[in-house]
Amino acid sequence: MKNWRYIAYTVIIAIAILFPFYTGTYLQHTATAILIYLSLALSWDMLLRTGQMSFGIAGFFGIGGYAAALTHLKWGIDPLLSIILGGIAAFFIAFLLGLVVLHLRGMYFAIVTLALAEIFRVIVRNLHSVTGGPEGSVLPSAIFGGDPSKIYWLILAITITTILVSEVFQKTRIYFATTSIRNDELVAKSSGIDIFKYLIFVFAITSAIQGIIGSSYAHQYAFVTPEETFHIHFTLLPMAMCLLGGMYTTMGPVVGALVLGTIADYLKLQLPYGHLLVYGVVIIIVILFMPRGIVGTVRERLERGK
Amino acid sequence: MNNQRCGSFEYPAPLIYLGLKLLDKLRYKNYQIAITLIIGGVVLALWKPFVLIEGLQVAGLYASIALPMALILGIVGIINLAHGDFMMFGAYFAYWFTVYTGADPLVAIFPVSLGLFLIGMATYRGTIKYMHGAPELIQLLLTFGISIVLQQLANLFWTSQPVSIHVGYASASATIGTFTFGTYGFVYVAAAVILFIGLFHFLRHTRIGQAALATGQNPTGAKLVGINIDRIYLLIFSISIALVGVMSVLFLTRHSIFPHVGGIFTLKSFCLAAMAGLGNLTGILWASLILGLGESFVKSFMGYAGWADIIFFVLIIVVIMVGSYRRRVK
Repeated sequence: MKNWRYIAYTVIIAIAILFPFYTGTYLQHTATAILIYLSLALSWDMLLRTGQMSFGIAGFFGIGGYAAALTHLKWGIDPLLSIILGGIAAFFIAFLLGLVVLHLRGMYFAIVTLALAEIFRVIVRNLHSVTGGPEGSVLPSAIFGGDPSKIYWLILAITITTILVSEVFQKTRIYFATTSIRNDELVAKSSGIDIFKYLIFVFAITSAIQGIIGSSYAHQYAFVTPEETFHIHFTLLPMAMCLLGGMYTTMGPVVGALVLGTIADYLKLQLPYGHLLVYGVVIIIVILFMPRGIVGTVRERLERGK
Repeated sequence: MNNQRCGSFEYPAPLIYLGLKLLDKLRYKNYQIAITLIIGGVVLALWKPFVLIEGLQVAGLYASIALPMALILGIVGIINLAHGDFMMFGAYFAYWFTVYTGADPLVAIFPVSLGLFLIGMATYRGTIKYMHGAPELIQLLLTFGISIVLQQLANLFWTSQPVSIHVGYASASATIGTFTFGTYGFVYVAAAVILFIGLFHFLRHTRIGQAALATGQNPTGAKLVGINIDRIYLLIFSISIALVGVMSVLFLTRHSIFPHVGGIFTLKSFCLAAMAGLGNLTGILWASLILGLGESFVKSFMGYAGWADIIFFVLIIVVIMVGSYRRRVK
């Protein structure tokens, strides 16, 4: 039984890797966008497993993007290396901010991360000499000369790494620590879990993932602007995807991102304005009627069937 | 003789007594803030009078939008992240009404507030009613979802082009000596004061208001003494949204609107409510004065106008961090 599962995973990964060989540029582009949101959703969920909800995904996404673009532009660092640098920048900024911010809980943490993302945006917009101000900076060329299949493979590699990290978080002792922190902090503390250490660790790692995705996004489109790179979509879409799929699992955000990403891309062609409406509606409906998400509901049904 | 001596000694006593009483009052936070604000205001009036006027008007706008949010937060107990978007929606209704009928935008106050009252009612009945007792994060996400729906509906109906209505009286001005300033902005100050006094009277001196106050303090207790708390929640939520609708019309006369205009007001209102403390309506006035004056002060320096946005975000973080520090110390 267990072998079947691994065979299925291998087949899915093989299909995903071979995807560019039998599809056109448009589909590859769409798939890349969905994978970007998938990784963001998964990284958001990884922090959510500790009970902390961040509204600042766009902030670390943008920091990564700007760090990668500027190091590439000013110092001529290789794009792939600068993507890693973007992740490192997001990691350290998240670590330092986390030392202060992670004392907060619940809605206060959510609102402060939202404010932090906005502060990043205002700073970037006003530092004309470094970041190019409101107009942003344009890179000489996109990564890999703008080849969509190579960009797809790059994002796919990042996504698979994110899924692996998330599985590591689910299968090792980190899982027990984060779950007990989420359920009852007092109990976690009295079981000898260093809550603050785990929170900082998870916060920095997830922010680094968001930074890496942001930097590859910046290199994919070869420009960064404060409004576009720190856009609220990068906070909102992953949240809706994660809610739809089901929280606190690896499978949930993946399924949610694939379903919602496909629907939204179809709707984008039908409604040029306001196609994001579906995200809001999905959030409301899922919270009211399906609080466990698709994966949770299906699993519940299956278990009941047995 | 004796009397006279007594009289001559007693004469300064009331003054000293008054002075001592004032000093005594300084122990209270509100008085400290008030004194600081008055001194700051006098300094500003002498140094940069324009900042004072501008700051006052902006503060009025912030306070009048934040008061309904504080009402929802204090009594219904929900952080309404869709607050500013209800205002945006109301402003679009008012715009629509004005364009269709050709009437003065201020006439739109009545239909818009009625419309938003009904929308608020529907929102409460459809969604928020089921959120009592749900985890805080879920409530936050739900209102976030409502905010997206409102924004995208506006995007769908009216596209993302900014629209505005020009009315002549909105650019009225007055001159004192060599100093000219716009007077229409004081309508926001007036709105804030009227709203504040009205709410205060409503909560203290009417039966429904007292019931609402009791519900906000202790829902279970209120239920035990026979208050229909669901009805109260519905009423307070709808009234607050209707008040936001009134403000949205006033907002439209001065500013241009677009689907994302509300987001920043949601955050600012939440920040003011957090600064003032839960259910503290008076505190909202002080907090909005600090925010409004601070923003106009930074804007008044050439070349630094872009940094004015950051004041508010820094303020919100400082307020929350200080609050959490106090809680930990306790």
